Amino acid sequence: MSKQGPNPAYAVEVRGLTREYTTRSFFGSVSKVTKALDGVDFAVKRGELFGLIGPNGAGKTTTIKILTTLLTQTQGDAFILGLDVRKELYEIRRRIGIVFGGERGLYNRVSAIDNLKYFSDLYGVDPAVARERIPQLLKVVGLEDRAEEKVEKYSRGMKQRLHIAKALVHDPELLFLDEPTIGLDPGGARDIRGMIREMKSQGKTILLTTHYMFEAEELCERVGVISKGKIVALDTPSALKGSVKDISVVELRTYGATQEYVEELKRLPDVVRVVADLDSEMQLIRVQTPQGANLLPQMAAKLPNGARIIDRTIKEPTLEDAYLRLVEE
Amino acid sequence: MKNTERLGFPERFLTALRVFKGAFFFGRKGLIIWDSWEMWVMQIAITPIAQIGFFAFLSIYLKYPVSVTQYIVIGNALQSMSFSAVFAVANITSQDKWQGTLPSTMVTPANRVALFIGRAWFQVLLSALIATAGLVYAGALFGVSFASANFVGIAVVIFLTSAAMISFGLLISAVGLYMRTALIVANVFLFVTLFLSGVNFPVSSLPGWLQPFSWTIPLTYGTTALRMAIAGSSLTALLPTLGWEALDGVLVMIVGYALFSGFETLSRRTGRFEEY
Amino acid sequence: MSKFSGLATGKRVDGYVSRRAQVLKAVMKLQARLFFADPQWVIPNIIAPFIFTLVAFFLFGGQATSSSFLLYLVLGAGLMGMWGTTIYGSGFSISFDRFNGTLESTLAAPIPLSWIVIGRIVFNTLQGLLNAVLILVIGLTWFQVGFGLVNPPLFFLAAVCTFISLAAFGLVLSAVVVLSRKGGFITNAMEIPVYVATGTMFPISILPWLALPFAYFLAPTWGIEAIRLSAIQGYVGIGTGYWTDLGVLALETAGYLGIAFLLYKKVEAYAKRNGTLEEY
Repeated sequence: MSKQGPNPAYAVEVRGLTREYTTRSFFGSVSKVTKALDGVDFAVKRGELFGLIGPNGAGKTTTIKILTTLLTQTQGDAFILGLDVRKELYEIRRRIGIVFGGERGLYNRVSAIDNLKYFSDLYGVDPAVARERIPQLLKVVGLEDRAEEKVEKYSRGMKQRLHIAKALVHDPELLFLDEPTIGLDPGGARDIRGMIREMKSQGKTILLTTHYMFEAEELCERVGVISKGKIVALDTPSALKGSVKDISVVELRTYGATQEYVEELKRLPDVVRVVADLDSEMQLIRVQTPQGANLLPQMAAKLPNGARIIDRTIKEPTLEDAYLRLVEE
Repeated sequence: MKNTERLGFPERFLTALRVFKGAFFFGRKGLIIWDSWEMWVMQIAITPIAQIGFFAFLSIYLKYPVSVTQYIVIGNALQSMSFSAVFAVANITSQDKWQGTLPSTMVTPANRVALFIGRAWFQVLLSALIATAGLVYAGALFGVSFASANFVGIAVVIFLTSAAMISFGLLISAVGLYMRTALIVANVFLFVTLFLSGVNFPVSSLPGWLQPFSWTIPLTYGTTALRMAIAGSSLTALLPTLGWEALDGVLVMIVGYALFSGFETLSRRTGRFEEY
Repeated sequence: MSKFSGLATGKRVDGYVSRRAQVLKAVMKLQARLFFADPQWVIPNIIAPFIFTLVAFFLFGGQATSSSFLLYLVLGAGLMGMWGTTIYGSGFSISFDRFNGTLESTLAAPIPLSWIVIGRIVFNTLQGLLNAVLILVIGLTWFQVGFGLVNPPLFFLAAVCTFISLAAFGLVLSAVVVLSRKGGFITNAMEIPVYVATGTMFPISILPWLALPFAYFLAPTWGIEAIRLSAIQGYVGIGTGYWTDLGVLALETAGYLGIAFLLYKKVEAYAKRNGTLEEY
């Protein structure tokens, strides 16, 4: 690990980041060391919209917490806007905005505008500037009509928009968004994604985490896939999809498909992976295979009695397919 | 409720008893505040001694005769169980809400009274323990003499007062079903007993219009009877006071149950289970 | 052109004092707004001292004929009130954020945590003044005796110093609550013993000798003495005199502040080591 300084072209620079948790047993004698992060390396260019994707427990939140100075790393370096997270805490915090998301992070018993005033003071925004900026922000996120209402009366989507306003109240150059659209209805999620694009076009650097693949594909210029504490891939969404381009995805909609059928499909030659959603009346099965449509007769032959294939489509592999391959290895 | 009503009385009683017993032990676990030994020490030693001490020293400073100081010490010794009796029981209802389990317990056909009383009975033993500890301090630290005391009488007073104060706690639980602020009500009530229940001075010292309120609180009868028992009164002599206390406890419980049912219906109508 | 362009922006507030003043003001404003959203929650904080005082009124009963006795009573009550809210408030300073879900937002702020807590504690101690005023009003109307201070300026000085020492103590307590699992227990358990040991209603000279070191160590004990000396005609107290009392108070308060800032460094280190203060 070189001891050179941070690269000024990068807004976020992570080198060999490791984070261990030691859990002690009940009697304190035996302790177990878990590595939440195991040598993570990546960098985010200034002005980039970068996505960090990975399964639950892979280390996304841990990474974000370290980058936002809320958690210390066990080893490795992290630089935010050229500043070391271990040393220049308060300066970093003044220049970043964080959206934790969800129901947490706002004072529910007071109004939106009171929340923003409070955080703007906490972040050292000049009061004269805040007086202008806060109403403007509320307008841009679409909350100006309900700014005086108590936050507890807001819908989930409204709270999320307020979170964004709060993260921007001190005009940070870099934003961290931790699962920004989780729990939102499609309309609300669309609004948030729209705002993310707007922020990016203003020139802000954005690092977001998500486990919605289509969201990462839609928004991010580059994506880092994190699995079990390590970065397993780092590239643009199209390049990542390219890693699975040799594979077609045969998408079947069936009636009467069972888990046994899925297992049979997995055993067919040249089948790379089968992902099935068997929960509804009509099941959705995605079979990754370089054979593509050629495998259809064999897939049909394996159907149990009474089951039918309603529809079949050959699809291009998506980021999700690439992702699944990456995290399952 | 319909199912059990078709059963004969013995079956209903047994069902209620089963629910009662289950709730008794759940009561123990459901009380977060009792999980640590520190809270036990606080409840049984620190707070009672400090409280008795505060008023005892105050009376010494005011140069009241020793008999007054002893009056005060005994009163506070008994009153110190109120936290456990009243507040912790109210806690149970609010904790149900906190943990979101209230709707499921309300929907079972189990005898609801038995369910909640069962949880509260653990408190009776605890409260009695605290009051007993208070009397130990009274004797060992504050010089109250038990030379001519009627110990059986004392025991009866303690247990009866514990049980009766539990019923007050149940009343507050009933209120807690509906209001956000049951804990505040319990808090206020707890401290008001210091003032109204003949703990630090006789009820007769209070303004006339306040006195009837004092006599609705079981603790008031309890302090009266306890002083008599320590002075050596026989059980027979205590009986009238104890009788009134028991009656008062039962009345309060009836009111509590009525409020319980009323609030339950109201909550279901307005959908305010999870309000707080 | 982004929708987010063209928003007002400008210089930041920098500078050690102006930043902290800004934060303190913001925290206290938020506390006030939260208080008015749910004012009933102040009741548990003030009910104990309030009732203790009412009982004391009754016990003082026959002897409250002189205004000095009344004053004595009212001052003691006010001080109990402020102790009560300090103890409760310090316990809740951080758990308040936990319950609200705003813990991460608070920890992520670009200002040391201690300053946010100070703002909360000062507000809490001010709530104790509310109790004091309430009791004063009741005392004056009930007993209808005049209210005259021996030396108003010195009284005011003593009152301000005591207020500061209470807030400083609360700050230490709030850090202890976070750092120690026993913290919550300590704040709950100490309320009534503190009323006894700091001589709010009766001089500490009548306490058993075991309690005295505890009494002397608590800075507000000295503040109470100074307040009484400057307010009540003919009050003698411990016998150390007004300026000695204030001196000891100042020293001990400085000590509390030092300990508090050290402890808060530990709190922040703890938060960063574990990523949260949730587990305490």
